[in-house]
Amino acid sequence: MLSEPLFEARGVTKSFPGVRALRGADLTCHEGSVQAVVGENGAGKSTLMSIVTGVRRPDDGELRWRGEPLDLRSPADGLARGIAAVYQELTILPHLSVTDNVLLGQEIARRGVLDRPAQRARVREALTELGLGDLDPDTEAGRLSVAQRQLLEIARALVRQARLLILDEPSAVLSGDELERLFTVLRRLTGQGVSVIYISHRLDEIEEIADRVTVMRDGAVVATGPAAEFDRARMVREMVGRDVDQTFPAPDAATEEVVLEVDGLRLPGTEPDGITFSVRAGEVVGIAGLIGSGRSRILRALSGLEPAGGGTVRVRGKPLGRGGLRAAIRQGMVLIPEERKTDGLVLDLPVAANVTLPVLDRVSRLGVLSRARERATAQKQTERLRVRCSGVDQPAGELSGGNQQKVVLAKWLETGPSVLLLDEPTRGIDVGGKSEIYQVIRELSAAGLATVLVSSELPELLGLSDRVLVCRDGRIVAALDRVDAKEETVMSHAFGELHDDGGAA
Amino acid sequence: MSAPAAAPRARTWVSAVGANGAVVWLVCLAIVIALAAANPSVFLTADNAANLLSQTVVLALVAVGELFVVLTGGIDLSVGSLATLTAVLSAGIIDAYPYRVFPMLAGVVVIGALVGAAHGALVTRARLVPFVVTLASFYLLQGLAFAYSETPVGAIPNDLAVFSMANLGPVPAIFLVVLAIIGALTWVLARTRFGRHVYATGGSVEVARSAGINTTRVTIACYMICSVLAALAGFVLASKATVGTPSAGTGLELSAITAVVLGGTSLFGGRGKIVGTAGGVLLLALVENAFTLMHVSSFYQDLVRGAVIVAAVAVFSRKD
Repeated sequence: MLSEPLFEARGVTKSFPGVRALRGADLTCHEGSVQAVVGENGAGKSTLMSIVTGVRRPDDGELRWRGEPLDLRSPADGLARGIAAVYQELTILPHLSVTDNVLLGQEIARRGVLDRPAQRARVREALTELGLGDLDPDTEAGRLSVAQRQLLEIARALVRQARLLILDEPSAVLSGDELERLFTVLRRLTGQGVSVIYISHRLDEIEEIADRVTVMRDGAVVATGPAAEFDRARMVREMVGRDVDQTFPAPDAATEEVVLEVDGLRLPGTEPDGITFSVRAGEVVGIAGLIGSGRSRILRALSGLEPAGGGTVRVRGKPLGRGGLRAAIRQGMVLIPEERKTDGLVLDLPVAANVTLPVLDRVSRLGVLSRARERATAQKQTERLRVRCSGVDQPAGELSGGNQQKVVLAKWLETGPSVLLLDEPTRGIDVGGKSEIYQVIRELSAAGLATVLVSSELPELLGLSDRVLVCRDGRIVAALDRVDAKEETVMSHAFGELHDDGGAA
Repeated sequence: MSAPAAAPRARTWVSAVGANGAVVWLVCLAIVIALAAANPSVFLTADNAANLLSQTVVLALVAVGELFVVLTGGIDLSVGSLATLTAVLSAGIIDAYPYRVFPMLAGVVVIGALVGAAHGALVTRARLVPFVVTLASFYLLQGLAFAYSETPVGAIPNDLAVFSMANLGPVPAIFLVVLAIIGALTWVLARTRFGRHVYATGGSVEVARSAGINTTRVTIACYMICSVLAALAGFVLASKATVGTPSAGTGLELSAITAVVLGGTSLFGGRGKIVGTAGGVLLLALVENAFTLMHVSSFYQDLVRGAVIVAAVAVFSRKD
């Protein structure tokens, strides 16, 4: 641990128009060690990483490589030094093959002519290590699942044989199995002296993999040291700069009135009669399951976004009419989609325009918008949900993740729903933002909304839900009451009987 | 979050075939069969075949060049004007002196390279929009051609004229030359590192750059390839017409873009193949040929072109 640092950043600053993203950040990376970087969204982690990789140049401060000054003018410079990154946004090109994506910029060629057998062999090797050995390297990458694409990104970094490997939120879309495999690979690499920077919102991962932890807040490093000195509570405390109530507000709003009844719903391609449940007013029902188990598809089928293969859905006793999404909205069932930025918001439009999008007829007369009514409507909702913005005229894209999510909620609440379908409501949102979203969900239940919640973060799902349904292969395989819904129980149901023997329970 | 829904829908066979540019070849085949059945005595002659293939030569050069620019996500509206300019310059400067032919051919390549490099530099380094940059040079180059001569000008030596009209049976000699160029470029796109970098740059500049690819160089190279091919097309136009006409290349840019789109290429960049573009060129030539054989006015030809483009885009070039 006391070896000479492989890489150092000292006093790095970086400003963007109107924002000081980095205010003198330091980072030190040693060979054979995993350096975790944690911090809320907007703390400057990704900006710092873009400087480490050479994507951006710092305004001030210096970088050192094995003690020598380092000047990175482009990502190509960084790659030449052995600095490779797996970025937070997926950077897979959908129309290129798996091989071309993994070897992007790293093609194996003789005098510019590709050596295709060698390329395929190299790619297969990297994919096998990540558990994708049976993936055909000639497949078009656009046909892969999100998790597979994330693994391709990691494979891309692997084939570069980097000395310094940066992983920016690699786990957001990976299942537990895939994550374990990634950790195995990381341990092999650090054994070979590779230095790893690991960024994640999931603190349990940090505890498992990190040797050292650096905490960032507001563009500066606020704490750094051996991982042993950082338990979750301390990391959270340093990240937000205050003590955050990590417990979930207790649910107690459930009434007797059944609002949503799902009877024998079937997802296309799965067995019939798989999904039957009901949700009462004020109740939060969580759907747990592994990635690909169909939990998000259930929400999409309910909302009318995806066709259902059969079964009936009733909202307040009335069967859901034909007409997909619009019919569902008319009957008071709305989906808060997982992909906030693409499916939930028009990022360039102001908050007010986003909020009133589904109710334009109510804020206009004869097709002409009333700006005053639009703003008043948005004002009311943003105050109710405590959206932090400079005003309802601020473009939605400028808000933080948590506040963007609140705008999406505000938008759908304006339609006066009775059923709320929440798909990964806190994905990519920082700790402080998460607890605010939890609070909002609670308040909405207290106001009588029936909520169906899907989340890949089990503690969140268990903490918020009155009841938990476990989904596997597109069917509900277990329904657990709050008191019975422990992580182990849920996971053993999610994996199925085969895995129960493996000792998960 | 769930994997199956995140993966794109299984592609229909139509879009799968369309993306490979095969649809346009099937349509070409259908037209050939129809014409052969309807009027074999005229259509199925060596003369007509040679005529048909000869019609494709100029557009093939320009369209394949255009494809390189479109693959990067750009567009080049100046190719027709550039071909016009090199046509008048070639005929005007050669002026029937045989010894000037090869130096002029080299000069044409240099002109193309310079124009393309300027386009590429303005698009990458100055970050200007390709549409605007090449719209400006569309007027500039046409203006230069008119400034050089407002009427058909110059002459080319007899040998060059004979070569550009020569047929080996049903195949024009110049067609073979163009075929060789296109074949070489197809290989470059499919099998070389540069080819991969073109697709990567067109797929996403940021992704390509963060993978260490010099996207500026790749983009400039594509504009240069495009302009060199357009400049060569102007030389061919002059050779075939034996004079340089200051309207020789008029409209080529639109035909080229049409051929590129018909070949299943995405105008957003990153997706498309030369074989598709070549099919698009052949399809346009066949439509023209069919209308000529049937003595239908060229006005209807434009109607059909428009309809074909909409059909092509509807089938396989949807925004995704």
